[in-house]
Amino acid sequence: MQNGMVLESQSVSKRFGNFTAVDQVSYQLFEGEAAGIIGPNGAGKSTFFNLLTGLYPPSEGRISLFSRDVTSLRADQRVMLGVVRTFQLVSVFDTLSVLDNLVLSVVRFHPVAGKKARFILGSAHPAAIVAECMAALERVGISHLAKETTAKLSYGDKRKLEIAMGLALKPKVLLLDEPLAGLSDGEITEVLDLVREVHKEMTLVIIEHKISRIVDLVTRLSVMHEGRLIADGVPGEVLQDPTVRQVYWGAESSRVFSGLAAEEKAEV
Amino acid sequence: MGLLPRTHHGAERGGEGMISTIAYGLTIGAILYIISIGLSLTFGTMRIVNFAHALVYTIGAYALASSLPFFGGSFVLAVIFGVVVVIPLAYLIERFVIRRLYGQSIDYAIIATYAVLLIGVDACKWVWGATPLSVSDPIGTAWTILGVDLPVYRLIIIALSLLVFVVLELFFRRTVVGKVVVAGLEDKEATRSLGINVDKYFSFVFILGSCLAALGGALYVPITSLHPYMGFQVLLLSFAVVIVGGLGNMRGTFVAAFALGLVMAVTGRFWGAASETMVFVVMAVALIVKPIEV
Repeated sequence: MQNGMVLESQSVSKRFGNFTAVDQVSYQLFEGEAAGIIGPNGAGKSTFFNLLTGLYPPSEGRISLFSRDVTSLRADQRVMLGVVRTFQLVSVFDTLSVLDNLVLSVVRFHPVAGKKARFILGSAHPAAIVAECMAALERVGISHLAKETTAKLSYGDKRKLEIAMGLALKPKVLLLDEPLAGLSDGEITEVLDLVREVHKEMTLVIIEHKISRIVDLVTRLSVMHEGRLIADGVPGEVLQDPTVRQVYWGAESSRVFSGLAAEEKAEV
Repeated sequence: MGLLPRTHHGAERGGEGMISTIAYGLTIGAILYIISIGLSLTFGTMRIVNFAHALVYTIGAYALASSLPFFGGSFVLAVIFGVVVVIPLAYLIERFVIRRLYGQSIDYAIIATYAVLLIGVDACKWVWGATPLSVSDPIGTAWTILGVDLPVYRLIIIALSLLVFVVLELFFRRTVVGKVVVAGLEDKEATRSLGINVDKYFSFVFILGSCLAALGGALYVPITSLHPYMGFQVLLLSFAVVIVGGLGNMRGTFVAAFALGLVMAVTGRFWGAASETMVFVVMAVALIVKPIEV
């Protein structure tokens, strides 16, 4: 497990006015991990992702990627270093076609064809770029929708498209912000299978609301609460942690928690 | 009356006047469209209300008038010069004013860009004086359509605005750069998260929009008179166009510009004093029907 360090935050905080969304979080991610981050709504999970990916500058603290300080790098520069994310509310471009969405991801990896093509009508799609886009769509199983306007896709297909766009960026680390939210049971199974497949090639961090969905997928689990990281470790141990149980299921419900744990075991 | 042509045939003549009124409305709409597209894009991409847009419009107009003698009276060359000359100016405004305002409160942008406009207008006064200048119609002939004389120059302006619309549509829907901008209009953070330095593309769009404003200013010179404050009236009308058309909505801007141009011309025909007011009445109605979320 102790491979190289991929991603590290050192006491990062993010304040919005008087509200501290992320509070002194120190977190380390190692190569090959599939790390889960759970926590109640408003715990600061998505804000933490925004700090890692550079969409927000931290109020304090440092962020490193592959042991390089990236605190002052822009979001797009961090993407090029290999950190790619998806959003809680699926973020694809509704007004573009499905294929064009992928073209936006892929075009930078084709410096010659890409650069020349950028201002030229129609040649936005040289054969090599289209082939790569289609392969990416194929992988998530929506290549038949390539020509559609993205607005027409179901939410689940949009999620698959978003993941395809992320993968097309050739990430070393993929950060998935509640990838299962809003999906049907069937789609959840498909996306989870895809995530498992993807994990063979890259390091993953998954934010999820329902522990049961990811508990058999992740090799490590962290819990955030009110902006702080309150637990971090092997899933089984973290779930037994009394503070976590208190936060996640409330004081009254250790009884309920045993029930949930049983349900989770059943799912595993 | 600010943006209405000096010789407003529609008001002077009686019966066949409605046709020329409509023709003038379309001319005003064409100019308004060319000017407003940059304002709309700047707001849609950068979320910045850019008052300095009126300055590049004014500079474009003065650059045309001043350079005309150097190009041996060639109007086309002088227009091109007017458009090109604002590129460095737009770059400087973007680099040193607009870029510092990203993510700031919208009032800072209004104050800062308004300051740029005031400084620029005073500079224009210093260079060219406050006395209005005029440039004569470069074509000078008129076509008779349905019994009404319509100056060819104004028909060319309408045709040019259609050309600008088509070129922009092709650019934004069919090229990768255009698609990046469209994606950025839709969701800036998601575009960033694809490893795209959106701000670079937005700077390009800013300069493109400024060039179009200068084009609008240059084209408008032969119809109106040239003075340092010409930008102010146009600015307010352009804001009305952008708001009615939808911020950052390129097709909406096109439709709104022509609709408001016609509103101005038709109102002006029956009640000259109210022509510009009516534009803002329409804007107010648009805001009531569809409030802006900033």
